[in-house]
Amino acid sequence: MSALMAAAPGAPVVELDLAELRDDPYPAYAELRRTAPLAWVPSVGRHLLTRYEDIVHAEKLPEVFSSREEGSLLLRTVGPNLLREDDPEHRRLRAAAEPPTRPRQVRDLWAGTFERTAHELLDRIAGRGEGDLIGDFAEPLAAANLAVVLGLRNASADDISDWSRAMMAANGNYADDPDIWLRAEQATRAIEDAVAEMAEAARREPDGSVISSMVHAADPVELTEIQNNIKVIIGGGVNEPRDVFGVGAQALLQRPDVLDRVVADPGLWKRVFEETARWISPIGMYPRQLTQDYEIAGVALPAGSRVALVIASGNRDESVFERADEFDIDRPHQPHLAFGGGPHFCMGAWVARHEVSALAWPLVFSRLKGLRLVEGADDRMEGWVFRGLTSLNVTWQV
Amino acid sequence: MPIVIFELPDGTQRKVIASSGTVLMQAAVSNGVDGIVAECGGNASCATCHVYVDQRHVELVGPPNDVEDEMLDFTAAERRPTSRLSCQIQVSDALDGLVVHIPEEQV
Ligand code: HEM
Ligand code: FES
Repeated sequence: MSALMAAAPGAPVVELDLAELRDDPYPAYAELRRTAPLAWVPSVGRHLLTRYEDIVHAEKLPEVFSSREEGSLLLRTVGPNLLREDDPEHRRLRAAAEPPTRPRQVRDLWAGTFERTAHELLDRIAGRGEGDLIGDFAEPLAAANLAVVLGLRNASADDISDWSRAMMAANGNYADDPDIWLRAEQATRAIEDAVAEMAEAARREPDGSVISSMVHAADPVELTEIQNNIKVIIGGGVNEPRDVFGVGAQALLQRPDVLDRVVADPGLWKRVFEETARWISPIGMYPRQLTQDYEIAGVALPAGSRVALVIASGNRDESVFERADEFDIDRPHQPHLAFGGGPHFCMGAWVARHEVSALAWPLVFSRLKGLRLVEGADDRMEGWVFRGLTSLNVTWQV
Repeated sequence: MPIVIFELPDGTQRKVIASSGTVLMQAAVSNGVDGIVAECGGNASCATCHVYVDQRHVELVGPPNDVEDEMLDFTAAERRPTSRLSCQIQVSDALDGLVVHIPEEQV
C-alpha cells in the first residue's frame, strides 16, 4: 500500500506553523481536539489524531494502523528496525532485544552501575555550586546508562550522545541538508563498528546486555539487524529520560511545597515521574500508516493515509484529565500515553522509570543542598516531536 | 464460547463472552471492561492488565509463567498469591464461569 501524501477526502485541513509548534504545541492541540480531532496538517504531511480515546483506539489496532510508514526518514537513517515493523517481524526483533530492559533485570543487572555513574557525575560538579543539570548531569547519565544496557562497553557517554544527536537531526531533516545526512552516516557507521565488536565479544561471553540478548536469541537475528536496532535505540533512548528528568526537576523547583512533600515521602517520586511524562511528553507524536480504509474521529480515511498519533495532545485531553494543563502529582491515577501503547509500548519504560525516579531525582535532591533555579536563566522548553528543556541552570550550597 | 466474569473493585460484575484461543485481557478490552488498561497490548511488558483470580478458580487457571511472574512484582496494586496478568491467561472452554477481580489500580 503506497503512502498517500495528501489530505483524505473529507478531512479538515489545518495550517500549523512548525516554529510555533516547536515553541509551544499545546494551544494548537487544544484547538484541534475541540474542532478537528483528525486534521490534515500540510506542514507535517500527516493527519494529526489528537483526542485521547481515538489515540488509544488506534493503538489497539496495529493491523490497521501500521508502523511501516513509507518514506520515513528514520528508515533512511538507520535501516529496517523494530520501531518501523509490524508483527510478526516486529515481535521477533522485540523478543530478542527486550529481556535486558525488563524490570527485574534493571534492578539486578544495571541499577548498581547506574547509581555509580550518577554519583561520579555529581562528584564532578558538587563543589562548583552551580551548573546545568541537563548538560552536566541528565544527558551524560542517560547516555552512559544506555551504553551499559545495550552492551556498548567500547563507547563513551559522549559517543552515545553525539551519535544520538546526529541521528535525531537526520530523522527531522525534511530540508534535506547534506551536512546533516553526512553526520548521521558517520554516526551510524561508528555504531555499526562498535556493535560488531561487542557482538563478537558477547558471542564468546554473554553479558546480559541487549546486544548479547540479540546475539543469543532463540529466533536468530543477523548482525545487520542487531546494528540497525541498536541505532534506533541510541537515536531515541537518550533524550527522553533526560527530558523527563529536567522537566520534572524544574516543576518541583518551581513548587517548593510539592518538593518538600516528595523529599519527605520518596514513594511519591513515582507519581512525579508519571505526571511529568503526561504533562510534557518527551515523545509528542509518532507516525502510522493505514493498511485499509478506516473511519476514525468522524473521517473515513482511505488505505495508505498517513496519521500521526499525537500522544502529547491525548495526555492533555480534558475529558480524561481534569485541569489537564496543570502539573499535579495528586491527580487521580489515569493511564497516560507517554510510553505509547500496543506492541510498540516503550521497551525502555522500566529502564527510564528506574534511572530517573528511583535514582537521578532522589540523588540530586539529596546531594545538592539548597538547590534553586537561576533567576533569569534562559532555560527554554522546546520541541513538539520531542519536547524538553534545552538547559536547567541551578545553584546549590557548597 | 466460555463466559467469564470480571468483578470491579466496587463489587459490580461484568459478564462477557470470551473467545477460546484468545487471552482473557482481550475479552475485557473488546467489551470495554473498566480497569483493564493493557498498555502493551498483551506482551507482558506493562503490568496494567493485572487481575486477582477468584480463590475458587486458582487451580483451574494455574500459576503465572516466568516472564509474567517477574512483571507481577511491578503492578500498581499489591501483588497477591492469586495475582495474574490477564494477557497471559489463555481462554479455553474449561474457563467457563471463571471469576476474576479487578484491582483498585493499574497505574
Ligand atoms: C521517559 C522516557 C521514555 C519515553 C517517554 C519513551 C517513549 C516511547 C514511545 C512513545 C514509544 C513508542 C513509539 C512508537 O510506537 O512508534 C517508545 C518506543 C521505544 N522505546 Fe522508549 N521512551 C523512553 C525511554 C526509552 C529508553 C531509556 C529506551 C532504551 C533503553 C527506550 C527504547 C525504546 C524502544 C526500543 C522502542 C521501540 C519499541 C518497539 O518498537 O517495540 N525508550 N518509547
Ligand atoms: S497487557 Fe501489558 S502486561 Fe498484559
